[in-house]
Amino acid sequence: MAKSDDGIRILQGLLVFGNVVIGMCGIALTAECIFFVSNPHGLYPLLEATENDDIYAAAWIGIFVGFALFALSILGIVAVIKSNRTLLLVYIILMLITYAFEMASSITAATQRDFLTPNLFLKQMLERYNKSEADNNNDKWMTEGVTKTWDKLMLQNQCCGVQGASDWQEYTSAFRRTHNDADYPWPRNCCVMNAQGSPINLDGCKLGVPGYYNSNGCYDAISGPMNTHAWGVAWFGFAILCWTFFVLLGTMFYWSRVEY
Amino acid sequence: MSSPSSGGHRFPLLTACPPALLPYVPRVPPTALPGKVTATTFALEMPCCVFDGHANASDAVWLVVAFANASDAFRNPPSREDVPPYERLPTAHSYMTLEMAAAAYACPAPSPAVLRVGGDTACAGEGGRDPCNGPLPSPGPYRVKFLVMGCHGPKAETRWSDPILLRRAASPSTIDPAPARRDSAAVVITSILASLGAALAAAVLGAVGAEAWGSLCRRDPGNGTFAHRSYRTHHIAPALPQPLPPGCGCNPPGLGCFAPRRPSPCPAE
Repeated sequence: MAKSDDGIRILQGLLVFGNVVIGMCGIALTAECIFFVSNPHGLYPLLEATENDDIYAAAWIGIFVGFALFALSILGIVAVIKSNRTLLLVYIILMLITYAFEMASSITAATQRDFLTPNLFLKQMLERYNKSEADNNNDKWMTEGVTKTWDKLMLQNQCCGVQGASDWQEYTSAFRRTHNDADYPWPRNCCVMNAQGSPINLDGCKLGVPGYYNSNGCYDAISGPMNTHAWGVAWFGFAILCWTFFVLLGTMFYWSRVEY
Repeated sequence: MSSPSSGGHRFPLLTACPPALLPYVPRVPPTALPGKVTATTFALEMPCCVFDGHANASDAVWLVVAFANASDAFRNPPSREDVPPYERLPTAHSYMTLEMAAAAYACPAPSPAVLRVGGDTACAGEGGRDPCNGPLPSPGPYRVKFLVMGCHGPKAETRWSDPILLRRAASPSTIDPAPARRDSAAVVITSILASLGAALAAAVLGAVGAEAWGSLCRRDPGNGTFAHRSYRTHHIAPALPQPLPPGCGCNPPGLGCFAPRRPSPCPAE
């Protein structure tokens, strides 16, 4: 009798500990996803224009799942300590629903990340940057977003194009339709600027003389934050779900042993 | 405008010496500059120190640009008035531009190390303002040479360059944005999570099902439950002590009541 009593106490302790960890991880997940959704690097317009911003949807789900995990962990602690069968059942069912949502979020973030290739951003940049005629309001909104984002990106990160300045030479673009090739082999923001915001040597920039134009491509500046976003949501969600799996199994075992 | 034939009558043929052929070959600079050849412009190395000894400081050095298949048919203009302008490139298949004083190419080398052909967009279409260094209308290929023009006609020329082909830009619709292959991490996450989710769902269904089945078949409480029950306590009033039945010498009450026994007689000694 005493042995099984000890065993029960240990199981209770483990379940409480497991729920405490779930609660803390839930808060961390909410905080992380709020950080990503707040668009700290200003890259959301690029994703919006690809019409595939599922990693943002995954982060939004993560916010609510994190909060739900925190609330449910408190319910779980109360249910385990009181050994109340009804509470335990409610806890298990609600946790399963939350589990399903977090699974969706994690899998979405992991799989949709694969679609963000350099070619995707290259094609979008060439077709939308400085596009003068828009098909409809939505198109105009996305074009403005892409143009502003690229201008800011090239200025702040001292980069040009997706893989380099030659992107603008290898392909025709919406930019090329309004800016002739002799004056603008690439956009002005690809030139190294002085403190007043004008190129330090315009002829050097047009020729591509090192030091007067930005030779790096912007892909690293785009994919770095997006990778962090996608993998942060996917792997942290995965870790929480693995832990929650064992806690839920233990809770179900505990529930099956409690008498009314 | 005097035609070459009347010019030949005006001045005796003996004084019009053929221009000196310099062995210099104009070329695109070999350094890696992404803008050295674009769709409408190209850059050339500056011919520094090439014309020393053949040109006075007052002479003008022109750049002749011709389509590669028309370079052999090009004839040097005898005077400055006969210089083919930029606007006649589509018909004459050649033009001359970038008129610079010979002193610009004298040793030691001045600061800009390249010449950009086609960089002036303001003069194109104006007409009349020559020489115009306007953008080239087609990808070419082009051949160029330098020509030193003095007061009496061409004095020296360099060799023709190799054909220079300008860039042809592709359409962005040829770009394929699809990913090359699926990332393995995504496969790992998806498969593990899917199996965990399925195991959980099976465990819940199994537990609930077993519970429902057990409660249907069970009559008395099972033996497997541990003694961790939730107790509800009820208050029971303490029972009043019952009066002792007569003849009992029990003390304390409740231990059972026995009739007193006489001690057995002592055994005879």
